[in-house]
Amino acid sequence: MKFNTILLSLAAVLMMLTSQVALASGGSSVALKHANIDVTDREQLLRGLIVFTDICMGCHSAKYVTFKGLMDYPELGISREMADELRGEKPLMSGLITDLSPEDATESYGKVPPDLSLIVPGRRGGADYVYSLLTGYAHDPEGKVPEGNYNLYFPGHSTAMPDPLGWLDHEPEDEAEIIQQANDVTAFLAFISDPHQNERRTMGKYVIGFLILLTLVLFLLKKEIWKDVH
Amino acid sequence: MLDAMMKTKLFAWVDRRLGLESIIKSQLTEYPAPKNLNWMWVFGAIAMTVLVLQIVTGIFLAMYYKPSAMLTEGGFSLAFDSVERIMRDVNFGWLIRYTHAVGASMFFLVVYIHMGRGMYYGSYKEPRELIWIIGVVILLIMQGAAFFGYLLPWGQMSFWGATVITNLFGAIPVLGDLIGQLLMGGFSVGDPTLNRFFSLHYLLPLLLVAIVGGHIHALHTVHSNNPDGIDLDQSDPKNIVTFHPYVTMKDAFAVSAFMILYMYIVFFNPQMGGYFIEVDNYMPANSLQTPAHIVPVWYLTPWYTILRSFEDKLLGIVAMGASLAILFVYPFLDRSKVRSARYRPMYRGMLILFFIDVIVLGYCGHSEPTATLKVVGQIATFYYFLFFIALPFLPKVEKTKPLPEGV
Repeated sequence: MKFNTILLSLAAVLMMLTSQVALASGGSSVALKHANIDVTDREQLLRGLIVFTDICMGCHSAKYVTFKGLMDYPELGISREMADELRGEKPLMSGLITDLSPEDATESYGKVPPDLSLIVPGRRGGADYVYSLLTGYAHDPEGKVPEGNYNLYFPGHSTAMPDPLGWLDHEPEDEAEIIQQANDVTAFLAFISDPHQNERRTMGKYVIGFLILLTLVLFLLKKEIWKDVH
Repeated sequence: MLDAMMKTKLFAWVDRRLGLESIIKSQLTEYPAPKNLNWMWVFGAIAMTVLVLQIVTGIFLAMYYKPSAMLTEGGFSLAFDSVERIMRDVNFGWLIRYTHAVGASMFFLVVYIHMGRGMYYGSYKEPRELIWIIGVVILLIMQGAAFFGYLLPWGQMSFWGATVITNLFGAIPVLGDLIGQLLMGGFSVGDPTLNRFFSLHYLLPLLLVAIVGGHIHALHTVHSNNPDGIDLDQSDPKNIVTFHPYVTMKDAFAVSAFMILYMYIVFFNPQMGGYFIEVDNYMPANSLQTPAHIVPVWYLTPWYTILRSFEDKLLGIVAMGASLAILFVYPFLDRSKVRSARYRPMYRGMLILFFIDVIVLGYCGHSEPTATLKVVGQIATFYYFLFFIALPFLPKVEKTKPLPEGV
């Protein structure tokens, strides 16, 4: 009995130590803003697509998404005419590739902008991080990072990406629109990171429903077979 | 239905040449199982199910996967592109890949519970030592297969995880460099590494099937332990039920219930918040950019903590090796005559603390290293070994409770 009490208190001390550490290490990062997105909302995804092709695609690609894909995904379902307008000279099966060459990008920004196909699952914080980053430009309190490159949410605060939506020093009357643009493009990026996600979640409900029924039937069968065992 | 089938002419023809009927009888319809087995005994069947699912999904993934580090547009690779093609363009490719990726974590989860059950009820003890030892071989092969498999998407964590682990071998005296180079197929992780890891990732699970066969054969030779850990006369019908239909139905129910959890994760949360598919692995491998912290997937983190608990690299490797090797001698370290922890109060307390200890080790290995965590990890490492080293001396001080006569 006494031996177990010692062991239990040892366990408790270990657990407390770990949870203390967990609290200490969790508090260091900035709390992200919440992205207001719905990857099943066609209107929002289409608005996000336009923000993406008008602004992001100036520098970034999303190579795993093709113009044909934009037509075929039921969540987007853009028309052939719109696809033709977006793609210009590029083939229909081409990915959403920026016209900015890696060499020019390196010359202008010091690095090649990352592909955005998987940016949402590829960053800690996911969609919230992307949204926060887009609306996180500020003036460096220490004045070290050049204007337009200081971001509250970017690790180290100095990002090579110049304020794409014009958040820094925006007029108060523009705020709602920029927030909407940031949310829309975040929704689009979240969608393209896993374009079968809505299909997956819909199908998942049926799969889980079926499994619950099957489990119930098997439980009753097990009970029936075991009823004479004591 | 089984009886009706056994009477057909076709069955008789096959039976005369294969001895099917005697196998069915000895392994299923007349194979005895203690009737007091509790729900902890279902995890073996669940583990088998996951193994089969991993192999089936893996075969289909291999039809589309390309093990090549050749660079493609945007800093990606043929391997990474082929995985994304599976996720986006292959019909139900996303389902097959998520089932496989989540399956790796589920396999370890189930196997760890299965091992914990064996430890709690003394299933590793005489005469079942070989079942346990074969089981440890299975665990090691699983860890190898998981490590090789994690390289295949050629993401950042794939690349850097493999780099860290293969570099470890460099610390082994004399042969270290050679082993590292053999593993990598060169002087650093690259295209040849990816090719051989793919080959080994395909080979190991097939070996696993054979070894699982040995695990089950050993079990069927000595028969199942039971929650009281007592020797039962398994020819006495009042102690046992037949494997089929009793245990098969119980296992079928358990597998189905487990599938609810498994499929819930696959369909609704396949990344599991970065625990099952790490965030960094959505970025393509880049040998010029080290991720902020390189962490193995959760099921390897307890051993990673043991490795990191020592300043000296070689000592860390030796400790990590020892922590796995000690599992082989576990049945011989434990000298108590009583099997089940139900009747061993001190062992029970030590074992529950051991389970907590392994979780703490896992937590430390998954977190960013801090000074406090390092000390916690070292204490946990110390207890991990203390648990095994104390076992031979335990019977001298432990007062076991009286065992029940039967079930």
